[in-house]
Amino acid sequence: MIAILGLLLGVAVGIWLSPTLPAVLQPYLPIMIVAAMDALFGATRAYLDHTFSDKVFVVSFISNVTIAALIVWIGDQIGVGSQLSTAVIVVLGIRIFTNAAAIRRKVIHA
Amino acid sequence: MQAPDASMDLLRQLREEAVDPDYARAASDGRATRNPGAMSAIALVIAGALFATALVSTTRSKPLVTSERAQLMGYIREAEARQDQLRTDQAALRAQVDTIQKQALGGSASLPALSRTVAIASGAVPVTGPGVVIVVDDAAASASVDGRVLDQDLAQLVNGLWAAGAEAVAVNGHRITTRTAIREAGSAITVDYRSLDRPYRVEAIGDPRKLPADFTATTGGSWWAYLNRNYGLAFDLQTSDALTLPADPGLGLTVATRAR
Repeated sequence: MIAILGLLLGVAVGIWLSPTLPAVLQPYLPIMIVAAMDALFGATRAYLDHTFSDKVFVVSFISNVTIAALIVWIGDQIGVGSQLSTAVIVVLGIRIFTNAAAIRRKVIHA
Repeated sequence: MQAPDASMDLLRQLREEAVDPDYARAASDGRATRNPGAMSAIALVIAGALFATALVSTTRSKPLVTSERAQLMGYIREAEARQDQLRTDQAALRAQVDTIQKQALGGSASLPALSRTVAIASGAVPVTGPGVVIVVDDAAASASVDGRVLDQDLAQLVNGLWAAGAEAVAVNGHRITTRTAIREAGSAITVDYRSLDRPYRVEAIGDPRKLPADFTATTGGSWWAYLNRNYGLAFDLQTSDALTLPADPGLGLTVATRAR
């Protein structure tokens, strides 16, 4: 419950304040969001498995977002930014789909 | 024994460790909190804010792109209008120069005549006379690139007319001289760096009885016969008793001087 409330509060705050991200961070926002989604789906699955841990979630969330942005940033510096962001999205996408499928099986037993 | 998918270890690992293995480790250590706490809530607020920020910035940037495009088109139109204005000014100044030149050369009989011939041939003054009008256009039915008139086709047409003995040529009202380029910019054909609209109307001053037949015999003529036959490009040649072609405004000399 607190999780969904937090998420909604975040969305509300984001729309209400509509903070302008520094221009340096702007290109990395999409990849950060995909990384955040990965952490969220992983946490949801762990929650349904009754193995959820506050600390692990926060650490995995922050490190996921930071590392995803960092990888793409390094890619940009060496000229393969778009390729590396594709790589990050493929890897995170596979994880998101796997977790989403597991969540689906848990929730609706199908 | 080696697993059959050993070469795809990364993919297997991705699927098997889709959930951070730390969750399981924390659970077995008894550190699992089972329910999200305050720290998670903060992380989730951040996640939500990230989503919203991205959403807002993408929806905001869309109209921005459209307005930028409109602004650019406005700049182009402005620049074109300015160019037209400058050309008009230039033509007026040119006429002044001509008048002064005539006054200065008043004493000599042969020089004004020579200057006149040179001016007509080089395209420095407007000319009039009989000739042919050729209207070419993209193929009617075809939307593909094959059915479009290209810069090369127009250049072939103009070259064909020169070869057939045309004395002055203009495309859509732009006089073709030694310093006029027929080029392609994007999908538009430009003559003298002005983009043209379809259909392309090529006017050539020359002997109207000889020009059509002579044109057919040139490379440009056979080029266009081929395009007309195979790609359905429209080609219409008509003779005219009186054509008036404008001067090319871009003929001023800034660097070259007469050799002594």
